[in-house]
Amino acid sequence: MLLEVRDLHVEFRTRDGVAKAVNGVSYGVDAGETLAVLGESGSGKSVTAQTIMGILDTPPGKVTGGQILFEGRDLLTLKEEERRKVRGAGMAMIFQDALSSLNPVLTVGDQLGEMFTVHRGMSRKDARAKAVELMDRVRIPGARERVRQYPHQFSGGMRQRIMIAMAIALEPRLVIADEPTTALDVTVQAQVMDLLAELRREYRMGLILITHDLGVVADVADRIAVMYAGRIVETAPVHDIYKAPAHPYTRGLLDSIPRLDQKGRQLYAIKGLPPSLTRIPPGCAFHPRCPMARDVCRTDVPPLYEVTDAPSERGSACHFWRECLHG
Amino acid sequence: MSDNLTLPAQQSPAGASAEPLLTVEGLTKHFPIYGGFPIKRKVGAVQAVDKVDLTVGAGESVGLVGESGCGKSTTGRLITRLLEPTGGKITYAGHDITHASRRELAPIRSEIQMIFQDPYSSLNPRQTVGTIIRSPMEVNGIEPAGGREKRVRELLELVGLNPEHYNRFPHEFSGGQRQRIGVARALALQPKLIVADEPVSALDVSIQAQVVNLLQKVQQEMGIAFLFIAHDLAVVRHFSQRVAVMYLGKVVEVGDRDSIYNRPRHPYTHALLSAVPEVAVDDEPEDRERIRLAGDVPSPIMPPSGCRFRTRCWKAQDKCATEEPPLVRLSDSREGHLTACHFPEEPTTEARDEDIVLDPGLKALEDENAGTD
Repeated sequence: MLLEVRDLHVEFRTRDGVAKAVNGVSYGVDAGETLAVLGESGSGKSVTAQTIMGILDTPPGKVTGGQILFEGRDLLTLKEEERRKVRGAGMAMIFQDALSSLNPVLTVGDQLGEMFTVHRGMSRKDARAKAVELMDRVRIPGARERVRQYPHQFSGGMRQRIMIAMAIALEPRLVIADEPTTALDVTVQAQVMDLLAELRREYRMGLILITHDLGVVADVADRIAVMYAGRIVETAPVHDIYKAPAHPYTRGLLDSIPRLDQKGRQLYAIKGLPPSLTRIPPGCAFHPRCPMARDVCRTDVPPLYEVTDAPSERGSACHFWRECLHG
Repeated sequence: MSDNLTLPAQQSPAGASAEPLLTVEGLTKHFPIYGGFPIKRKVGAVQAVDKVDLTVGAGESVGLVGESGCGKSTTGRLITRLLEPTGGKITYAGHDITHASRRELAPIRSEIQMIFQDPYSSLNPRQTVGTIIRSPMEVNGIEPAGGREKRVRELLELVGLNPEHYNRFPHEFSGGQRQRIGVARALALQPKLIVADEPVSALDVSIQAQVVNLLQKVQQEMGIAFLFIAHDLAVVRHFSQRVAVMYLGKVVEVGDRDSIYNRPRHPYTHALLSAVPEVAVDDEPEDRERIRLAGDVPSPIMPPSGCRFRTRCWKAQDKCATEEPPLVRLSDSREGHLTACHFPEEPTTEARDEDIVLDPGLKALEDENAGTD
């Protein structure tokens, strides 16, 4: 396994108390595999990714437990200097907002070239040539001329391609994409997602795709992990989860998407609001919003049960996953 | 947040009537660009909306879709007269309101209301929810039976909020609840037309469905006409009876929901529909067409000549550059389904023999990978 997150816990000290952003998350990604992490805002999906990358703000953030094994080494025990070497060459991240992630006062050529001067000790001239090559690789037309331009001279889709180019520059084994297409229009979104999927195949990278959009996930991911209130509530191969969800939250999300065959009718809506991370409900965090909740849900935190009825490897953190799967 | 809201039947039952409530003809908005030194002169214009025709019947919900920068929000703001049109004509219930003065607009203002996209910036943080919902009534001098406060409480209940929260401030509510406050404010004057500009796109997935259901309930039970502006095609499909597709300031295709989603004719509508990632719940194999456009939407400062979509269109020919296609009913389209295209597509969204991939880079990458696999 390329990356394995084991029982990760992350907290934030805030004025309202301790916000438990990540509460025992475990997941893994193989080389060449795409894992989609799905969740609403505040579910802990981005914090987990930042912790893996080692770019979590500490303080206020604090890792209080767990392991992050990357090619067998626990990243959390490494010194900052060693982690920096892992970042870029070993793993890279693509952010949602390309405009604010790029430096506005440096040309894109300088920013792409920096990857090679810093990590590979290349001369500026060689780095520039590499930058052009990279821009070609993510199919930015007229790379030779545009390498001298600044981020604001590029359109949203092109900027996101530059972010992707930067991420794949050192051919990392793992790429984490945090809502890579959320800020883009649908026609451009489709281009960027396809590009990402093709590059992943070409380089056999592991890809963690963080998103709130069930549709985007369906097209590109192999496996999916659904997060709620800092926990993984369900994990399964993509197609199985859409066919038969084994957790009421996943089921609620799927049912609340407007679909062709249900037009005009009322949408199913999950009642209530996601919980505050400073006051996560006892027992199953989803129980106040769950249509299937019973007494045991209010007291006992459900572990990630193995879904044994399914032909593939699946897990569900619901006491009544069997009912959910078949009902 | 009850799911079972009861709403008073207010007007005649919903359904498109013969006489449209709102008619927009040739609506145009150009934002001037000034430049030069020492005297600033007009050097160009952003042609945000260009000769748009649109009708909304009483009680009808019309969806307006398109990518960012296509002019859909500007259209909404022109209709509510938050912006002054450069040209064209807006007729509301028989009155020409295109250039109506404040005084002339006063009686109509209360009938056309707006719901904004961002529930955080569209509510005054220093006012209580009660004040926010009450102010439209104060401004328009409306005194409902039982007093304004009672009406505010009714409205809060109607949108699924606790009437006791009358004295709370916006920051005490979540995004979805704030959007409900925005809906209550829009309903305060018993409008006949609501322009909803991306009302759910700032909300989380599980909250979106709650707000969409609320809007739908309001629309159906109170018979309020909606102009629903959104980029999310699935939400529009769910909510709208008729849909208009905009591209670079123009309506390129308009028709009833079924025509647009199942029998689209304009290449752009095809591309837009095929770009939406869809959750396939059933086992059925992927039988949708796949179209990947190249590049981004051109600048509205210098839109392409003729058909504005031609620079990204796979069917473009010389005629498209010289002649602007009129918005007309094509021979095998249904009544009311209008398309602006010289070379329309087949009315189906099923998979083609070959995918259309216009992005040269993507094409090359795919070919490479196909070779190595």
